[in-house]
Amino acid sequence: METDTCLQKAAELLAPWAQETIEPEPGRVDVAVAPGDLVAAARALMDARWGYLTAITGLDPGEEDGRLEALYHFACGAAIVTLRVRVPRTRPAVPSLIDVIPSVSFYERELMEMFGIVVEGTPNTDRLFLPEDWPDGIYPLRKDFRMEQLGG
Amino acid sequence: MASEKFVIPIGPQHPALKEPGHFEFNVDGEIVTDASVRLGYVHRGIEKGAETRNFVQAEYLVERICGICSHVHATAFCLGVERLAGVEAPPRAQAIRQIVAELERIHSHLLWVGVAAHEAGFDTLFMYTWRDRETVMNLLEGITGNRVNYSANVLGGVKCDIGPEQAEAIQIGLNFLEERTRHYLEVVSSDAMFLRRTRGIGVMTREDAERMGVVGPTARASGVPRDVRIDAPYLLYAEHPVELVIEEAGDLEARFKVRVRELFESYRVIRELLTALPEGELTARIPRRIKPAETISRVEAPRGELFYFIKSNGTDSAERVKVRTPTLPNMASVLALSVGHQLADVPMILAGIDPCFSCNDRMAVVKRNGDEQVWTWEQLRQYGIEYYR
Amino acid sequence: MTLKLDQSWQAALDKLKTWARINSPWAIHFNSGSCNGCDIEILATLTPRYDVERLGIKLQGSPRHADVLICTGPVTRQARDRLVRIYEQMPEPKFVIAVGSCALSGGAFRGCYNILGGVDQVIPVDVYVPGCPPRPEAIIDGVVKLLAKLRGADPSDTPVVFDPDSAGEAAILAGEDPVEGPAHAQQEEEAIA
Ligand code: SF4
Repeated sequence: METDTCLQKAAELLAPWAQETIEPEPGRVDVAVAPGDLVAAARALMDARWGYLTAITGLDPGEEDGRLEALYHFACGAAIVTLRVRVPRTRPAVPSLIDVIPSVSFYERELMEMFGIVVEGTPNTDRLFLPEDWPDGIYPLRKDFRMEQLGG
Repeated sequence: MASEKFVIPIGPQHPALKEPGHFEFNVDGEIVTDASVRLGYVHRGIEKGAETRNFVQAEYLVERICGICSHVHATAFCLGVERLAGVEAPPRAQAIRQIVAELERIHSHLLWVGVAAHEAGFDTLFMYTWRDRETVMNLLEGITGNRVNYSANVLGGVKCDIGPEQAEAIQIGLNFLEERTRHYLEVVSSDAMFLRRTRGIGVMTREDAERMGVVGPTARASGVPRDVRIDAPYLLYAEHPVELVIEEAGDLEARFKVRVRELFESYRVIRELLTALPEGELTARIPRRIKPAETISRVEAPRGELFYFIKSNGTDSAERVKVRTPTLPNMASVLALSVGHQLADVPMILAGIDPCFSCNDRMAVVKRNGDEQVWTWEQLRQYGIEYYR
Repeated sequence: MTLKLDQSWQAALDKLKTWARINSPWAIHFNSGSCNGCDIEILATLTPRYDVERLGIKLQGSPRHADVLICTGPVTRQARDRLVRIYEQMPEPKFVIAVGSCALSGGAFRGCYNILGGVDQVIPVDVYVPGCPPRPEAIIDGVVKLLAKLRGADPSDTPVVFDPDSAGEAAILAGEDPVEGPAHAQQEEEAIA
């Protein structure tokens, strides 16, 4: 019950930016927002002290789709709200949430190196997980990644 | 000397323990002024690996993300895949999963108390906790056949049962451990020498903890009531709940106390489950191919919230598996917390969140923003002499 | 070595060194990408139940002081150079024990993009201890086999069998030589004297 009120509140908070709102399964709400609205949407949740950011998931729906997705999962008790941002594959960029959520840096670095989604304005763009000699422009979690691209 | 920064690189190799990570601490004298971290020495590419294996194989792969909390990884994955498939594990399987999960928490917390005590230079406690931890290892081995990476889970249930004999053995083991745990609680909250290393060190206020999004015992030691077992019960945690263990102080002492006190909760819940073990099957049938969908599965690992995002695409393997382990958010807090502390406290602060680094590989080559400074030992010595003149 | 010794002295010195090394091998542990499972089992060998320190086996921090490198985990791209560097920092003669399926072959992670394979892809390995993770007894067994190898005996002739529930384990490890019998060390001492 409590979970539902939580979700309802989140949906209300996010309504100004929501392009599409769905409920994929009980306890979850999935809200699609434009990349430009991401910071404002996240700020709305944070200002209302609605939960915390648990993770950022990158998704590659495949080359035909022509897009990449970044999913920002916020949790409050058992309720999970996902902000779904779709960006073009040719120029994937999302704004950084660093001003809203100071601890987001690690997540954003991971998103950058694994999917090649540029996070604009994030303070540290060094590699976090991949080795130093990893070739630039190769992103292992994209669907078109092949082992041969690593050479040797 | 001019305002030249002195950077102390620590890691990735270090004498006693577990995961390698590379830290750089800028110090002014003994005081840390800045800190950064480089992970990835153990980055293996599991998320990608899980996409190229089928669900059954992937379960064994994710179990090997971490040898200390292997069971929770497998549990989170299985729960997610079962939800995608619309299957629920039978109640007895859920109870056994929960028992193993709590036994794992006991083993992990005891391990941590020992390791953190070792960082504090209190090796006696290290040896005692590890001796007692062997009791849990025996129990886990008795149930599953392996001490580490037990593979108790299969998709749709568990592979091992707990019979009356094992239940008896677990009760005896728990009695012994409970006795010992009382002793440990006394040690960590009253040993004068030990408190010098823990009380008031690495304080994280509740605001900080919330702002930095820390999870698990680290958060609870700062007064943040955050525990997935309570907030979003899974398995049988709704029927057999644990009580929230929380401390307000936010220092290392509180982190010790939270973990030790959580042990009592684990003992209690395991006993409760053993007496109320539901009868029935151990596994449910699960289809090989799973229709396209997305799910999120969260469980409370010994170190905090473990987050899985699984996307299926109608085949027998996952389209995407995203894992967010509790150490990642907690690590960010370490970097912030070490600033302003003595360098000697840093290993303790690191250990406080339970990634456990004890570090000593110090080299004289420092790389930062591309420019390379090489300090010989002679220069280092001179610097020290100058500084304290 | 600038020191010139005549042959018999040199032989005696070598014997002394071997004796010292076998009696108290110092080990260093490096994790090049493991899941921790193997690492905690290595740590467990130090703690009271197995307590290898009583046998002179010491795990310590610096590669400069180590005779034996105990490796766990598959080798990740990022860890490769560090592994090589640590190996190179160790003084000669040095020995490597690979612990766990991952260190042997890459194990469960074989084929993942950041994995190069087992430890022997990068540095030479003397003893392989399989298991995921190997039990502490198996790790100790690996060390014993290495020591037997150092003596020049073939360990496969006289397999060391561990029965954790009997005192046999302790007896074998407590200085009684699994290969040549307990009198061996004494003979060597005499030879030096
Ligand atoms: S062999 Fe098994 S326990 Fe050891 S590092 Fe590999 S996966 Fe972990």
